[in-house]
Amino acid sequence: MKKLLALLLIGAMTLSTVACGSSAPAAEEVKPETKEEAPAAAEEEAPAAEEEAPAAEEEVSAGGDAASEITLWTYPIGKWGDEATVKGLTDAFTAKTGIAVNVEFLAYADGDDKVNTAITAGQAPDLIMEGPERLVANWGANGYMVDLSDMLDDTDKSEIQAAPLAACTAPGGEVYEYPLVMTAHCMAVNMNAFKEAGADQYLDLETHTWTTENFIKAVEALYAHYNDTVAAVYCAGQGGDQGTRALVNNLYGGSYTDEAHTAYTWNSPENVKALEQLKGMDGIAFDASLAGGDEIAKFYQGILKMAFCWNIAQQLDPNAAGTGAGLTVTGEEIEFMSFPSETGESKLQGGIWGFGIFDNGDAARIEASKQFIKYMADSEATVDAVKAANYFAVRSAAEGTDLTAIWADNEIMDEYQVLMPQLGDYYQVTPGWAGQRTAWWTMLQKIGSGTDVTEALTQYEGEANAAMAE
Amino acid sequence: MSSQVTQKRSRALQRREDIAGYSFMLPSLIFFVGFVLIPMVICIWLSLTDSNMHTQGGGNFIGLTNFSNLFKDEVFLDALWNTFVIVFVSVPAVTAFSLWVASAIYKLKMPVLSAFRCIFYLPVVTGSVAVTVVWKWMFDNYTGILNSVLKTTGVIDTNINWLGDEKYALWCIILILFTTSVGQPIVLYVSALGNVDASLVEAAQVDGATDLQAFWRIKWPQIMPTTLYILVITTINSFQCFALIQLLTQGGSGTQTVMYYIYYTAFKLTEQSGHFGYANAMGVVLAIFIGILSAVQMRLAKEK
Repeated sequence: MKKLLALLLIGAMTLSTVACGSSAPAAEEVKPETKEEAPAAAEEEAPAAEEEAPAAEEEVSAGGDAASEITLWTYPIGKWGDEATVKGLTDAFTAKTGIAVNVEFLAYADGDDKVNTAITAGQAPDLIMEGPERLVANWGANGYMVDLSDMLDDTDKSEIQAAPLAACTAPGGEVYEYPLVMTAHCMAVNMNAFKEAGADQYLDLETHTWTTENFIKAVEALYAHYNDTVAAVYCAGQGGDQGTRALVNNLYGGSYTDEAHTAYTWNSPENVKALEQLKGMDGIAFDASLAGGDEIAKFYQGILKMAFCWNIAQQLDPNAAGTGAGLTVTGEEIEFMSFPSETGESKLQGGIWGFGIFDNGDAARIEASKQFIKYMADSEATVDAVKAANYFAVRSAAEGTDLTAIWADNEIMDEYQVLMPQLGDYYQVTPGWAGQRTAWWTMLQKIGSGTDVTEALTQYEGEANAAMAE
Repeated sequence: MSSQVTQKRSRALQRREDIAGYSFMLPSLIFFVGFVLIPMVICIWLSLTDSNMHTQGGGNFIGLTNFSNLFKDEVFLDALWNTFVIVFVSVPAVTAFSLWVASAIYKLKMPVLSAFRCIFYLPVVTGSVAVTVVWKWMFDNYTGILNSVLKTTGVIDTNINWLGDEKYALWCIILILFTTSVGQPIVLYVSALGNVDASLVEAAQVDGATDLQAFWRIKWPQIMPTTLYILVITTINSFQCFALIQLLTQGGSGTQTVMYYIYYTAFKLTEQSGHFGYANAMGVVLAIFIGILSAVQMRLAKEK
């Protein structure tokens, strides 16, 4: 009896060991979780998406060679990071094509780690939603992505704006990202604070622009009134670094890379002047305890009077807190602004987001993924896909559906379009992008802690270019 | 003839017991081999290659190049220095503090003793992320309670950027590490001090020994195995300080540690050629340092 019991125990322990070591594909592990969570919310969202779908059904043919199930990993791009919203969109797609979509939601903090680990383990998802700096310059350049150029006919090319399409295209002509939405990153000011300090006179609220001179005067006025930090050059990490890059580059007309995207050009007289100006200003702190998200939170709480990490998604829902568009937590008014420059004409940092397909060697899954992209980015359903992102469509029309006026009913979105002509070069596709980001925020930390600006720029520009050479 | 039969039986019995013993060990052995031994071997092998996420297989053999590059890498040397600062400050502090607290509370009545055990063990059982987030709030540059109290009491005029200033950040990390590390040693010391032979202490006191002499000559040798265990475990934990850095500073403000740099090199620097091999080399170096320090501690404890 004892032996039997012992054998049974051994068997149970061995089984549990084997069970713990199971190597089921990551996507399949995600499936139950995705389907189990938030069903009520998803059911509410789904009908609306389905209403949009009938016309798309004809365009998105359910090819016989397509797989019946695919996986999508998405970064939090507007409400593409919201499970209920995404479930509504994917359920509508499934209803029309019969292809099930298992979704995993990534965070910017560790999303790249998860994707890189999955690639290394040969378990990359079928689809991924993010921008060209990852899909084209990183994973595409390293041969992990499927070339989507066969999805773009002449009509598509005429409908999609040239700049985002160029950013989604590798130097060899391969299209590794099918673009969906775009925006211009900007900064924001607390209007109540500006009015109290008498700094609102330096803002042009019609064009949402200001000059470097007026920016300096505004900071002086705010500091004189509050006698405390009013804005932070945040540098705790790479999160939101588009804001600090745009601030530094625009102040005196500096650049981040050369036009051909072959070298990082931080160490220019214009950037040196900008950083020295910022470093010398009372009221502006080089804060190594804040990253972009932290800065937004401090601005939303009314602690900081300006935010350098801002865009239309933040303007619509500051700090993603759901407490009202264009308002801080205490109800103070927020105005979005272009970054200051000597002329007032700035070059804003663009954001482009779309879909890419990982080449997992399975033609059926690739075909099903292409159907998903076609449905989301080039059909009547594109309206919902774009609106879920809270950004602007990269194309004027999708299979006959006009996309130019989809935000006409939203005053803030409509007003924000004033910034779109200021979109600058999409230099995030420069090689060595991931590595240089650490060099940038480390450099800002060093300047904040007293290192000479030119010395810091020389050292870290060198590191960025070395990362490119790798 | 009969002795041969008895010998055969006893061998058969021994074999059965051996099989049963090994069978019970098997599940743990599978875990140990699969999740400790094999990864260790892979780590050592990869540290000698230029492996990265873009090359299939193990990469090319490059000998000790990764190791020689490590000692030319300023970031690694900074990380190594910070790691040693953490170890050499936190290990003695944790050991001394937990011994002091345990000495003060081990004779208390059981309900009070249990209450103290719970209080000191709470940070250990609370998730490190939750603890760290609370500390982050307390250290906040703008709204943190620490700045608020210091300013209100007139100790400081302007806020201190605790986690954003190189002068303070590493010490803040050490402080948090200290609070999360003392729980287990206190519980262990309370138990060890409770097991010290009371008759020996009484005999020494009868012979005129002072409290300090009784502690140093009688109690201290008896709790030495516990001290050794605490030293080794605290040293290893301090060397492997990662979560605090990841959550609070991401290696900035002069808080880069070897563990965080390993993670950063392996999973963030994916564009750098040979980044897996390089990260593995750091892992091997860290393991060697941990091994050396643990061996020294054991040797010293044995001599004592």
